Amino acid sequence: MTEHLIVVGLGFGDEGKGAVVDALCAQAPTTAVVRFNGGAQAAHNVVAEGRHHTFSQYGSGTLTGVPTHLSKHVLVEPIALATETRELTDLGVPDPLSLLTVHEDALLTTPLHITANRAREDARGTNRHGSCGKGIGETVWYSLLTGHTPGDTVEHQRVLGTPGEAPTVGDCLRPTTLRRKLDTLARFYEPLIGTGTPVDDLIHLYKSFADAVRIVNDDHFHTLADTGRLIFEGAQGVLLDETHGFHPHTTWSTTTPRNARTLLAGRPARVIGVTRTYHTRHGAGPFPTEDNTLPHPELHNDSGTYQGSWRTGHFDAVLFHHALTHARLDALAVTHRDTPATHYATAYRSGATRTTTLPTHDRTHFLTTCTPELEPFPHDWFERQGIPIAVEGHGPDRTSYTVRT
Amino acid sequence: MGHGRWDDNAYAAARTFRAAKGLDDFGYTAKLKSGPRDQWKADPTLDPLGVTARECRDSADHADSTPIAVLFDVTGSMGYVPQIMQRKLGKLHGLLQRKGYLTDPQILFGGIGDADSDRVPLQVGQFESDNRMDEQLRTIFLEGNGGGQKSESYELAAYFVARHVATDAWEKRGRKGYLFLIGDELNKPRLEARHIRRIIGDDVHQDIDPASVYRELARKWHVYFVLPNQSHYYDDPEIADHWRGLLGQHFLKLDDPGAVCELIAATIGLEERVVDLDQAMVDLAEVGSADESRAVGKALVQVGAKSVATSATPADLDGPDTVTLA
Repeated sequence: MTEHLIVVGLGFGDEGKGAVVDALCAQAPTTAVVRFNGGAQAAHNVVAEGRHHTFSQYGSGTLTGVPTHLSKHVLVEPIALATETRELTDLGVPDPLSLLTVHEDALLTTPLHITANRAREDARGTNRHGSCGKGIGETVWYSLLTGHTPGDTVEHQRVLGTPGEAPTVGDCLRPTTLRRKLDTLARFYEPLIGTGTPVDDLIHLYKSFADAVRIVNDDHFHTLADTGRLIFEGAQGVLLDETHGFHPHTTWSTTTPRNARTLLAGRPARVIGVTRTYHTRHGAGPFPTEDNTLPHPELHNDSGTYQGSWRTGHFDAVLFHHALTHARLDALAVTHRDTPATHYATAYRSGATRTTTLPTHDRTHFLTTCTPELEPFPHDWFERQGIPIAVEGHGPDRTSYTVRT
Repeated sequence: MGHGRWDDNAYAAARTFRAAKGLDDFGYTAKLKSGPRDQWKADPTLDPLGVTARECRDSADHADSTPIAVLFDVTGSMGYVPQIMQRKLGKLHGLLQRKGYLTDPQILFGGIGDADSDRVPLQVGQFESDNRMDEQLRTIFLEGNGGGQKSESYELAAYFVARHVATDAWEKRGRKGYLFLIGDELNKPRLEARHIRRIIGDDVHQDIDPASVYRELARKWHVYFVLPNQSHYYDDPEIADHWRGLLGQHFLKLDDPGAVCELIAATIGLEERVVDLDQAMVDLAEVGSADESRAVGKALVQVGAKSVATSATPADLDGPDTVTLA
């Protein structure tokens, strides 16, 4: 029986999942790359055969010609998807949309969500959450409002208007349903963002979208899973997980393998956790080992307008083990091995206490107040963890990746 | 907040999706709009100026031709209609033929603008029964302006169809053709002679009452005005009163603008008495337009199968044909 692979990030994102997925796809036949969380905010860099692309909604196997399936756990933003389609076409990928299938239940991120997301993040002023400004959290939040009425508080945000059902990708095939849902959505957000994008424009656009992509149901996924190897490409990292991350600086997404396992419905899969040899973080949130003087080159990440600055720090064994607890790995992928990591955090000190594990409560507060204990980083530290190293990266290009599976 | 760029992105996105389906843009419009406005003009194949007649003739392949003229407002928000038509042409044609609503439908497309303010206020193509229809649609210039005074030159288009279209259906069989005007505004208060001269080329020197144009038209054509839910005029009683006054029950309000093709097909099926409303809905659902069929059903429920008669003109259309206005 085919063993599927689930690739998850063990940090705050930007671990190198894209390059790992690309390397895996290049190494052995793969039926499809399945996205199982997040949405258009993903930014997975792949450099191969003289080409570079930052994958956002397409799976990172695209340059190897592997199709992408956007599962029901993914948020789909058609305008960004079209932009990415053009980028891929320019890179010489023939008809990228023909490589794509989208589950009908995937939530639709609209410009209304995006505008609302930015309005909220702007209103937070200096207390930003580090949002990418791409409407991800807003899309999830709106989908949770069914049954709530104006004045309710849902996930710390007040419900201002009367919500309705969240629009899905499948609705793009049903113009009347789509119009009803978008009209409600636009009315709901009017107090926050004003009139926003006209619903007529959106309907027109989403119809063209539905014409051009294959919108599928569960049957399609099960056929894929029974056909050959699937690679599940996670977005963000376990340290940003909606449950196991550090609130409020989390993503509204399950970044652990959970969604992928649910989709697989008992089919066997191996989980590969991706980590750099040091830690990075994009935007606001606690980062105990942060040290922006580290001389680590960064080719493809920089500060985002909404997200904030790109941050670098030492490898953190405490956070690493926290991630392992929630990801339950079968193998590791270690990237950036060409970057000399000198120190790493082995424990935290908080007052007189020394600990190598995170507390179960008030983790965010703990992380912002503790002091990491730094020790010299053994070059073979990852080899000593008792987890097979399935993939190693010594640079950004596919040729600098070694796959052992 | 950030809407400024969105339109560009959305337009580019729609274009990307269409290109993936092998549906190019409306290339003529894109080409013309990249040039100066004073050079905007209808493509020669769609220019009504000096046209004696657009003809819908029988042929060896199409022995029982029925003309269907679809003229849509291409101003403002109505520019979507040709795009919707383009996407669904196959469905419309297929439904008419496969379901036996008509044996040999021949379809003509045209664009309607504002003779007072637009460079290209009228475009009329040829009757086609193959994918040249699609080309014709792409060649229509989507000027997109409109005058902003709640009226467009529908009556100019009606005049052209009344005077400059010749059909074997009428001449050989006494059968009416189908004219669908799709728009969201009023007729101009008068059909101005100077516009007829400039745009169509007829030597007319007196303005004409639009109501008389529609009376003349109704003798050879089943005339429908479709108001798609696409603008704030959708619920404007003045629009409804105006068109009901001219066309009676042939004024159709359509909830879902995406269902224009389906509405045309169902209307013809009913008018031809090939189907009743229920069966038309079943047929539509069969071609994969379940949502659309509900919108169509709602639009047509006021017409109803029983009240539709093949050749009767609405009672209130009696009166002299061309009433000229001093």
